[in-house]
Amino acid sequence: MKKQYAFLVDTERCIGCFTCAMACRNYYHQVEGVVWRQVYPLSEEIYPHRERAFLSLACNHCENPACLNVCPVEAYTKREEDGVVVHHQEKCIGCGNCIRSCPYGAPKYNPVEKRAEKCSLCHERLDAGLNPACVQACPTDALQLIDLAEFERTNEVQYPAGYPRMEELNPSTRFVLPKTPKMVRR
Amino acid sequence: MQSMELPLVVFTVFSQAAIGVTVMRAVRTTADGAGAEDHGARREWGLIAGLMVFGMLGSLFHLGHPLSAPTALNHLGTAWLSREVLFAGMFTGVTVLAVLVAGITGKPALAWLGTLLGLGVIVSAGMTYAPPALPALDNGLPFAFFLTSAVILGAGFGSWFAGGGRAPLMARIFTTALVVGLVLNLAAPWIWLSGGTVMRMTGQAWLGSAFYWAHVLVLLGCLGVVWKTRTIPAWLPVLALMGELAGRAGFFADTIHTAANMGGLY
Repeated sequence: MKKQYAFLVDTERCIGCFTCAMACRNYYHQVEGVVWRQVYPLSEEIYPHRERAFLSLACNHCENPACLNVCPVEAYTKREEDGVVVHHQEKCIGCGNCIRSCPYGAPKYNPVEKRAEKCSLCHERLDAGLNPACVQACPTDALQLIDLAEFERTNEVQYPAGYPRMEELNPSTRFVLPKTPKMVRR
Repeated sequence: MQSMELPLVVFTVFSQAAIGVTVMRAVRTTADGAGAEDHGARREWGLIAGLMVFGMLGSLFHLGHPLSAPTALNHLGTAWLSREVLFAGMFTGVTVLAVLVAGITGKPALAWLGTLLGLGVIVSAGMTYAPPALPALDNGLPFAFFLTSAVILGAGFGSWFAGGGRAPLMARIFTTALVVGLVLNLAAPWIWLSGGTVMRMTGQAWLGSAFYWAHVLVLLGCLGVVWKTRTIPAWLPVLALMGELAGRAGFFADTIHTAANMGGLY
C-alpha cells in the first residue's frame, strides 16, 4: 500500500472540547461561518449514556475522493507522496459541485472568496515535519496522524455509527469506538 | 442540498424545456414523413434557442466566478458536470445554427442532432445531481425527473407549433408524460420513507414542502384540463413550466445531504 496519511479519532479519549476545531480556525483564519473541522456529538440512539461521545471530523482524504472526481475544473489533486487531497482554490469557480457531492460535508463554500475550501491536512506543515494544527492542539491525544500503509490495526474501525458508510470512496479516517462508561453505585 | 439554487432551477428547467421541444419537433416532423406539416420552423427554433440561452445565462449566476465558466470543461474524464456543460454547449450551438439556417420548413437532421445532444445533457445532468451524498437521489430518479420534465414541457410548448394534424399527438404525449411525472413524484417520497435515515428525512421534507405540493397540483391541474378539453390550450404549457420550476426548487431545497445527520444513525 502507498503512503496514505489519515486522522485517527479516538472517541474514548475525545472530551468534545473543540480545541481541534479552534486550532484549525486559529491557524487558517477562515471567514465567519466556514468550518473545516467540526466536532459532532453522537446521538443518544448510538451512545445512550449520560457521558457524551464525539466524532471530530474534517476532510477524510479518501482513496477515491468524490470532490476530486466531480470537480469540473480539476481544482482538486491527491498528492502521490502521502495521499493528501488538496483543493487548489485559485482554480475553483465556485460551482458547489464538490460541496453537494462529498457525503462527509468536508468542502465548504467561502462566501467572501466565492469558492470552495476544505481541510488539506496542513500539508505545508507535514512537509515541514510538523503535525497538523488540530492534531498538535488536541489536549487528550484523541486526534492523531497515522499512515495507513504502516498502521498496525488493533481495534480501530473505518465506519463507526454516526458516520456515513461510503465504501466506494474509501475514506482514510479511522476511529476507536467509545467504551461504555463505568457506573459507580453507592 | 437544502438551498433553493435558483440559477440551477432556471438552467435545468429551461434547458429541459428546450430539449423537449427539440425532441417533439423531431418526432412531429418525421411522424408521417419528413417535413410534413412543418411550418414556422424558424419561430420554433427561435423559442428553443431562447429557452436554452436563457437557461445557460441563468446557470452563470450559480458560479462564484462566472467569467471562468469555460474552464468547467476541464475534467471530462470523470466529472459529469463537465460533460453536462459540453453537451449543453453543443446543443446550444445546434439551436442557434438551426435558427440561422431554418427556412420555412426547417431541417429535420438538425432536430435529430439536437435530440441526441439534448439527451446527452439530460443523462449527464441526471448523473451530476445523483451524488452519493444525496441517498434519495443517488439513483436513476434525477434522470427520470429531468426526462419527464423535458417531455411535459416539450409536448406543451411544441403544441404551439403543431398543425391541426399533429395536435392530438402532442396532447397524447403531454398526457402520458403528466401521468408518468405524477406517478414518479407521488411514489418517490413515500418509498423514501421506508429507506435509511437520510432518505426518510428527505421523504418527510418533500412531503412537507410547498414546492412539492405546488408541483403535484400543477401536474394534476394540467391533466384535468387536457382530459376536459382533449387539447392543450395555449396557456397550459406556461402553467406546466411554473409547476416544473416549483418542483425543481423543491428538488434542490428539500433533498437532505448525508452531512446533515453526522453523529446520528444512518
